[in-house]
Amino acid sequence: MSLAKIVARRQRTRFLILIAAAVVVAVAVTLGLPTYFVFISITVLVAMVSLMGLGVVTGSAGMIALSQLTFAAIGAWVMEYLMLHTPIGGMFGGLSFIVAMLLGAVAAAALGLIVGLPALRLRGVNLAVITLGVAAAADMTLQKVFFPDAWTNERIPRPFGIAHSADGDRMYFLFVAIVVIIVAALVFMVNKGRLGAMWRFVAFSERGTAAAGTKVRNAKLSAFGVSAFIGGIAGGLTVGQIGQVNYISFATAGSLGLYVLCIVVGAHYIDMAFFGACLFVFIPELLKQFGLPLEWANIVFGVLGVQALTTNTSLGDQIRTWLRRRRSGGAEVRPVSMHLEDVDLEKTSAVFTTTGRPLLEVKDVSVVYGELRALDHVSLTVYDREVVGLIGPNGAGKSTMIDAITGFVPGYEGSIELEGKLLNGLAPDRRAHAGIRRTFQQDRVPSSMTVGQYVRLMAHGKSTHDEIEEILEYFGCPPAHTPLRVVDVGSRRIVEVAANVASKPLVLLLDEPAAGLSHDEHIVFGNQLRKLPQKYGISVLLIEHDLDLVRSVCSKLVVLNFGGVLASGDQEQVLRNPEVLKAYMGEKVE
Amino acid sequence: MFSSKFFEGANVNPMLAVTAGLTAGGTFALFGVLLTIMSRLGKVVNFSQIAVGVFAVFLAIRIVPREMQPLGSVLAAMVIAMVLSMIMGFIVAKWLGDASVGARSAATVAILLGLYSLSNLIFGTRPQPVIPLVKGPLFQTDFINISQLAIVTTALAIIVAIVAKLVLRYTMVGTRLRAVSDRQDAAELMGINVMGLQLGVWAATGLIAGFSVALVANVQATDASSMITILIPSAAAALVGAFKRMDLAIIGGLSVGALQGLLTAFPSLVLLKDWVPILVIVILLLWTERKEVWDVAR
Repeated sequence: MSLAKIVARRQRTRFLILIAAAVVVAVAVTLGLPTYFVFISITVLVAMVSLMGLGVVTGSAGMIALSQLTFAAIGAWVMEYLMLHTPIGGMFGGLSFIVAMLLGAVAAAALGLIVGLPALRLRGVNLAVITLGVAAAADMTLQKVFFPDAWTNERIPRPFGIAHSADGDRMYFLFVAIVVIIVAALVFMVNKGRLGAMWRFVAFSERGTAAAGTKVRNAKLSAFGVSAFIGGIAGGLTVGQIGQVNYISFATAGSLGLYVLCIVVGAHYIDMAFFGACLFVFIPELLKQFGLPLEWANIVFGVLGVQALTTNTSLGDQIRTWLRRRRSGGAEVRPVSMHLEDVDLEKTSAVFTTTGRPLLEVKDVSVVYGELRALDHVSLTVYDREVVGLIGPNGAGKSTMIDAITGFVPGYEGSIELEGKLLNGLAPDRRAHAGIRRTFQQDRVPSSMTVGQYVRLMAHGKSTHDEIEEILEYFGCPPAHTPLRVVDVGSRRIVEVAANVASKPLVLLLDEPAAGLSHDEHIVFGNQLRKLPQKYGISVLLIEHDLDLVRSVCSKLVVLNFGGVLASGDQEQVLRNPEVLKAYMGEKVE
Repeated sequence: MFSSKFFEGANVNPMLAVTAGLTAGGTFALFGVLLTIMSRLGKVVNFSQIAVGVFAVFLAIRIVPREMQPLGSVLAAMVIAMVLSMIMGFIVAKWLGDASVGARSAATVAILLGLYSLSNLIFGTRPQPVIPLVKGPLFQTDFINISQLAIVTTALAIIVAIVAKLVLRYTMVGTRLRAVSDRQDAAELMGINVMGLQLGVWAATGLIAGFSVALVANVQATDASSMITILIPSAAAALVGAFKRMDLAIIGGLSVGALQGLLTAFPSLVLLKDWVPILVIVILLLWTERKEVWDVAR
């Protein structure tokens, strides 16, 4: 059994044990604690649900969302309406509560998608302004509209006929605990899975996400939708807890408090969401016991929030780092780099196996930024199974060329075709799906994932588990379960190349992939690259400054200078061209 | 003149409602300008911009004897707001110097939460007895009502914008400020006192925020919730100018105020009024950023 499988199995076992433990604790609390604490514990669990929802959009997907309680309010409002004014209230008997709660959560998710829509174009602070605006506006609206229960003396009946009484609270706690365990398990699994990886990727780099063939839109909207859905559940649970709700339970300041708390504890970790919820409830509770005003709680949260932001780390991260250090016997985690000894160092001459079929055809492409012609009527062709080098001095337009081919420069003139099909107008993720993959000059490998998670996300199911293992081995990458955080920058680029190879593209564009590698690693990497067309059937367009590497890998070269093609053709012939030498070395060669 | 069918649902003359809305609009314009200055020079969307002023004004009327108000409390509020703002600026500049705009702004969210709660804690949630500096209408007819406050706040917004523009364009300090906001590291290497300049920006905007809130507190900032309720439309105003252009921020602020004023004339649309700023923000942002843009240049 491979190491990856053992690790996965161990994680699964731990996951099941945790769920079982949570159920046992829930039952114990239900039976053992005084009534007052049972009620408080319900509040803790409801806050935990809100925080888990927020953890998705803020913690995993990295967006500032200041309207979590608005989603809870919508969930609560719709649920009350359904229970009081529609047949749903009695239609499903003891299950009506659950049905109404889920429908309320769906309504909240719908609002979440609407709030998330601007996130497709906006990011960071602008989005924060919008979510705060929605929270404030919804708050004011709710003060005028009132909740559906406002004009009745009825309390919304709890699920399964659980009474609104001290004993009923115990049973309701158990119900809430089960809901929380289900939500937590789902959030945990989603975070481990493809969707969670997508969220973390988009938080790290939108360009990287799009280049990997994932729609940034889907990643962001799904984060908002899921987060709001969970928020809506929290609203429904609040209704069941207190029977009658009003706008005060969902005030804007509460949303701000939750957000700050989310940053402080790192609520994308389930245990931290629980811990955060304890803080959210017990700090005010303690203040009450000591006869102090409740406002101190938010002041404490504010201070903790500033502290967390200035140190750029959450409590969850800190605890995890500490645990890792303890496990590794107090030693600092040293960066993992590619292991040369595992790699076949034999030197082979370049393998040129091109079938002569043109794959990628760039015809007469120009890109203009204001006054600057970054690319001026550039044409180049990459044939099936060949490695073409794209070289030229800094600022010659090499990266702009790759950006244009991969769809990151929308307004270029000319045409770009893959296998005779026109790519013009296609978004980056569509081009990635069509078979064009790229790597970036800057580090676009999200450190929050493991090597395996990242490669699987990039591969889009194009490679099997065994194929991925084989590709990682071929490139001498660290094992799949290694967190990318501990992989050094040079090796991360190789992992990036491996991940793109695993997606089985037709053409792979590499933007200075060897930067940050040592001399030995350079040679090894050159050998690996050279065999790519033969081994995996991939054509490569390589941007590289190291002429040794270019010479050893590329069969053909295209030289750019000042946005135009200076020379192109067979490698040796191009490298002998005096014009090329002049442009490249910056001096006239006799 | 306004008897057309469109306005039949109105219970007040719509023109009257629009001009009355300019009172709030002036405030939004003023804070829109301050938010723009902070964004340009401090690289932060300062969520606690209004909170600082509100807190300072409430504190000032507590500590300054009644007989010395309003002048004494206004001066005190300006000093307190300046000091508070400088403390925030110190935190942001010192520990979030090379952090993203998002992280810097998130810190001001946390500070907003703290100031909001501290305000409720010390001053309570009831309206605060702030003595108005200017009150009453300046110009009133059957269908126009322009308050003195609307003129004063708008004038102040224009003055602040012009002074800021002149300082940035024609003075040495302005050149240095621009250098710091463009490339902080490069400016630092040139020997520019980055920390000092940033603190200066925070101090100036805090000072003006204190004065501005003192101006409008009697009508618009009677309790701590105004820290958020003024912030949203002011941010909408700043967004009209894309957090860059102060003239557009002023126009944006006045427009949001006028639009909200107009809606008060239609009782059936009263719920919509609260959503005006956010709708303005969303529509504008989607329009200005309609082209696909990526998170980083390359």
